[in-house]
Amino acid sequence: MSTDQQKPVPDAADRAASDPAARPMGIGQAFREIRKGIVVMWWAFFDWVAVVSWKALLVVLPLVLILGGGVLKLPTLTFVLIVTSLIVKVVAGGKRRAEVAANQAIIRADTEQLERSLLEARMEALQAQIEPHFLFNTLASIDQLIQTDPPRASKMQQSLIRYLRSAMPQMRDGKRPTLGQQVGLSSAFLEIMSVRMEGRLQPVVSVPEGLKSAVFPSMMLQTLVENAIKHGLEPKPEGGRLEISAEIVDGQLAVHVIDNGMGFVPKAEGGVGLANVRERLKALYNGRAELIIGVPPGGGTSATIKVPYEVAPVPV
Amino acid sequence: MQPPPPPTAVVADDERLMREQIVDRLKEAWPELVIVGEASNGREAVALVQDLEPDVVFLDISMPGMDGIQAARAVAGKVHVVFVTAHDQYAISAFEQGAIDYVLKPAVPERLATTCERLRARLKHEPDPMNDLLAQLSQRLGAGGVKPREYLRWVQASVGANIRMIPTSDILFFRAEDKYTRVQTPTFEALIRKPIKALIDELDPDEFWQIHRATVVRVDAVEQVSRNFRGNQFVHVKGRDEKLEVSRTFNHLFKQM
Repeated sequence: MSTDQQKPVPDAADRAASDPAARPMGIGQAFREIRKGIVVMWWAFFDWVAVVSWKALLVVLPLVLILGGGVLKLPTLTFVLIVTSLIVKVVAGGKRRAEVAANQAIIRADTEQLERSLLEARMEALQAQIEPHFLFNTLASIDQLIQTDPPRASKMQQSLIRYLRSAMPQMRDGKRPTLGQQVGLSSAFLEIMSVRMEGRLQPVVSVPEGLKSAVFPSMMLQTLVENAIKHGLEPKPEGGRLEISAEIVDGQLAVHVIDNGMGFVPKAEGGVGLANVRERLKALYNGRAELIIGVPPGGGTSATIKVPYEVAPVPV
Repeated sequence: MQPPPPPTAVVADDERLMREQIVDRLKEAWPELVIVGEASNGREAVALVQDLEPDVVFLDISMPGMDGIQAARAVAGKVHVVFVTAHDQYAISAFEQGAIDYVLKPAVPERLATTCERLRARLKHEPDPMNDLLAQLSQRLGAGGVKPREYLRWVQASVGANIRMIPTSDILFFRAEDKYTRVQTPTFEALIRKPIKALIDELDPDEFWQIHRATVVRVDAVEQVSRNFRGNQFVHVKGRDEKLEVSRTFNHLFKQM
């Protein structure tokens, strides 16, 4: 072991010589440095022996034998070194290798997790796009109301601000979004749309107060609502009803958007929006969430997102 | 000599506020223009144009039932058309090349005044039938034009007492069972009434292959194809235990490359 002990000494001395600031180092500190060096080297040696294959070890050991026993004339030390290596190899080899494999697996899992959340972030940004059509039409309506009905114009503008505040990606606070926030965003959107569409849109929002603190991914509910209006109600001359509701089913949070509009067209591309929701659910929940599209008894379309029920941490 | 009758117009937009806005601002920009009718969708607009024979029609592009482009096609050559839109890159670039005018919402009074001036000049001529331009617009906006062949993207199926829309990308295979066709997804199965024979015509041939009189499988869901001692092929589907027989007629699908 003394080779191991000798080595760090010139090291520390070298450092002390080359680095004038380190020169007034006390004996005690130098000693601690040396000990630290030894510990590091021991573990490096230990790791190497534990991980290296038996074949490599059996090639290296005779070399050590020749070098230490023959050339340096330190037979006892060499013998101790070889025996130590073999014992370390036998005792720690398997465990150490498992540890290394586990570490690599963790790194891989971290990378996968990172890739997944990166993908999710990119898809969320896509999903969060505010339709220029919607924005321009709404501004045009506000412009008209300013002339004819200023109080209503002001109300509509406030709804637009509330909508933009939560729909613009830059405005989100980075915390995990809750169902309450998402329902608030869609309610603001529905208020605007019912001013514009008048009697042609009858929105109903019935989400229990107690579920509003549940974690729910951003912009997914809004995608369902926009789809229901764009494909279900807007194309229908007489319009119809749109209902947002939420419940707990078998420990899962189920959020429904139901309309009695035109109904689903099986040959339609299905919309980029829905495919995006599906992909995001996969990335976020890895099979523990789903999007279900159905046909309610009276016709129209029902869309349900089911995610694991989880309450958002209360901000302190 | 009698003065010529005042010019007339019909305004069509599905949102009342938007109709009001166009009407109000037209009154300022062109006081002599008489608005003879207002429509809230394309069909109403076409009917009003046919009944009232106005000189001009202002058509919102996106309207329920029949959209503005379809309505314009129906009345082309009978009336001068001005399109109204909130935002449509394609449409605007098409208008700028063509003879048709457009108004962006919200209608800016100065811009509307220019439109009215151009309209006054155009009223002296016969309305343009706009054939090429409308064809181009329908194609770009995907409205009323001829669309490429569309395949089934969703299958409407009963699961228990409910009706569900299942995206075709979730389906592993279809299999004929008695009177019904079974739709198998990784997590559940559903039944539809449509027979395999009718289904195969509506499915994208790049996405689904028929491998048997009774079986259609999604190509991406095939894990491997095995062969028994008699040379019959069987398709193994990802995540499922059952093997789907390939009938001899369809053996060629899985010939070795």
